[in-house]
Amino acid sequence: MDIQSYISSGAIESYVLGLSDAAEIAEINALRLAHPQIEAAIQDFENSLEKQALNASTQPIPEMKQVLMARLKTEFAQIDPAIAEGNNNIQTPLAPVIPFSQSNTGSIFKYLSIAAMVLLIASAGLNFYFYQQFQTTNTRYSALLIQKNSLEANINGVQTKMLDMYQSMQMMGDPAMVKVMLPGTKGKEQNMATVYWDSRSKDVYLLLNKLPQPQSNKQYQLWAMVDGKPVDAGMISDCAGLCKLKNIPRAEAFAITLETMGGSSTPNMDQLFVLGKVG
Amino acid sequence: MDLIQTYSEPELVLLLQQRSQTAFSYLYDHYTGALHTVILSIVGEDELANDVLQEVFVKIWRQMGSYDASKGRLFTWMLNIARNAAIDMVRSRQFQNSKQNRELNEDVYGAAGSTEKKIEHIGLRKLVQGLKPEWRNLVELSYFEGYTQDEISKMLDIPLGTVKTRLRSGLQALRQLLQND
Repeated sequence: MDIQSYISSGAIESYVLGLSDAAEIAEINALRLAHPQIEAAIQDFENSLEKQALNASTQPIPEMKQVLMARLKTEFAQIDPAIAEGNNNIQTPLAPVIPFSQSNTGSIFKYLSIAAMVLLIASAGLNFYFYQQFQTTNTRYSALLIQKNSLEANINGVQTKMLDMYQSMQMMGDPAMVKVMLPGTKGKEQNMATVYWDSRSKDVYLLLNKLPQPQSNKQYQLWAMVDGKPVDAGMISDCAGLCKLKNIPRAEAFAITLETMGGSSTPNMDQLFVLGKVG
Repeated sequence: MDLIQTYSEPELVLLLQQRSQTAFSYLYDHYTGALHTVILSIVGEDELANDVLQEVFVKIWRQMGSYDASKGRLFTWMLNIARNAAIDMVRSRQFQNSKQNRELNEDVYGAAGSTEKKIEHIGLRKLVQGLKPEWRNLVELSYFEGYTQDEISKMLDIPLGTVKTRLRSGLQALRQLLQND
């Protein structure tokens, strides 16, 4: 290959100026490695191109550098390797350190941080206030809930009682019910009770018209007189309307005595309150 | 107090690849004028040249990792980036202008005529004016306007081989002008 004619063909200039196609570039990349003269010619042209360009310098707008530096600010190494090298003969003036608080962005940050702090404090205060409100409300709510539950329980109780009383009234009006009046005995005439005796089932129901409240360890007991002997007809507890007592198939009379809690097998005749005959 | 530090090219490249701000500052100070001239000689308008220059420096900075010193000098590499960016700008402007209406087009052509006169006096383009007309035209079209040799061949109705030969002769002559400049 004639190196001189290649050098003077314009191929080198075309390559350096970026006007060669891929095949030409591949060719010259191989040639420059093989032929130092071609390498030298390339460098020679590059140098004169650079020299001419530097001589023909024209300046852009003066703000250009500042704009670029600001634009690339985040891309520069944080520790400048040109300074970090510790190379003493490199004396590049350092950019003055601008105190954070004095710079424009600094003051914006300052105001922003003050504003953020104020908002944070206000928010914390509100949080505390709302938390207290919440606590109060929660306590009141719990109290209301308890009240509501107890009212509900009361209503249920009342409803049950009402139902019992309604059933009692139904039984009292039933013509199959034998009504036995038990008036007060001698000395206890103000007392009164009524036995309702179902003639079909022989169940005994009792209505306490008027009996004194027993002591806490005492309880009234109903007796049925069968063939002149007292038979336990059941203990009387607190019930609304009619109290359902025992099933008594046969009886001539009924009586109530005050006995110790739980009842007795034989009546305490001293404490006979009411007595009434059937029929 | 400004002690201007000079770097050898390998030093400068290494520092730039390590993202040194000082090195970038040096690169800018050293080459901005040369690159500005190259860009202005292609785009013709100061404002556009400033825009392109800014993008070119950002590109140089960001693509520094791909610079290969065995393929050429740093300036040659930057020169090609600048030239390509400037041609791209002119192309996109022409594309935008071609979308506007005819009345405007006349103005645009008028304006283009006046800028051409101006850019002929800038940098390398000024040297090209000293070439024989048949070479000058080809160098203008390929180097400053970015047409491929194939496109030029069709545009001027000259065989591709002739375009290639003439262009190379023109570039060879340009080198002589450069060295005598």
